Amino acid sequence: MNKEQFLNQLNASLTRLSLEERQDILQDYEEYFAIGMEQGKTDQEISTSLGSPKQIAKELLASYHLGQVEQTTSAGNVMRAVWAVIGLGFFNLVIVLGPFIALVGVVIAGWASAIAFILAPVFALLNLIVSSFQLFDLFFALGLCGIGIFMAMGMFVATRALTKGFIRYLKFNASLVKGGLKND
Amino acid sequence: MNVQFKKGVLELCVLVLLEKQDRYGYELVQRISDRIEISEGSVYPLLRRLTKEEYFTTYLQESTEGPPRKYYKLTDKGREYLHELLTEWNEFSDGVNQLIKEGVCANE
Repeated sequence: MNKEQFLNQLNASLTRLSLEERQDILQDYEEYFAIGMEQGKTDQEISTSLGSPKQIAKELLASYHLGQVEQTTSAGNVMRAVWAVIGLGFFNLVIVLGPFIALVGVVIAGWASAIAFILAPVFALLNLIVSSFQLFDLFFALGLCGIGIFMAMGMFVATRALTKGFIRYLKFNASLVKGGLKND
Repeated sequence: MNVQFKKGVLELCVLVLLEKQDRYGYELVQRISDRIEISEGSVYPLLRRLTKEEYFTTYLQESTEGPPRKYYKLTDKGREYLHELLTEWNEFSDGVNQLIKEGVCANE
């Protein structure tokens, strides 16, 4: 493993830590590589003697978590953990699934009525075969068809906008759950 | 050697090395690994932890070659802790040595 690979793997294993702290840690190891290479070692040798970056990350994370629990038994911290645990199950079920079902319902209803309106003349003509045909019905159906086409166009735009909006809401929700009541 | 055991000893080694003078990370690692076999990467997590516990303070100092180096300086709190650990260690190693001596004598 060369220097880049070592530092990348370490960085990737430390995403739980704040950016500042991570940079600080990476800087320590960069310094270590720099001095070692000045002394004539290759970066392969140095990374071998340092050991596995995953193991190092484990040690760093363990002391970080212990520190968190020790320092802050604050309500915010506890809430954050509770949110994180419940959040991914129950919270998402209600807060995400609820609006999702409602939105899907609206979209399906909109499309269904648009399509029904568009097909209205077809039904009017079917009426011709089945039972008494009235010209008024046909004109009315043609009118509905026009409205239906407009509705379909509207629904097309609305569906796209709603999908986009919902994805944003999902992202917001994910960060809310993950970050919880982060106040640092 | 047992990992947990080594970790405790490593802490003592770092504190002892910093008692007389401030040193930078690389120097600390090299001094220790010259004498005992360690995984060198685990010294930095230890340094961070002890710094957080206020046993050390750190400062950056330019070096004539390469990047600036982070030096570790023992605080009063750290010195106190060192003396505690040292007493513990001496009692411990005396005890173990005594047992070994008796064991070896009995076998002969």
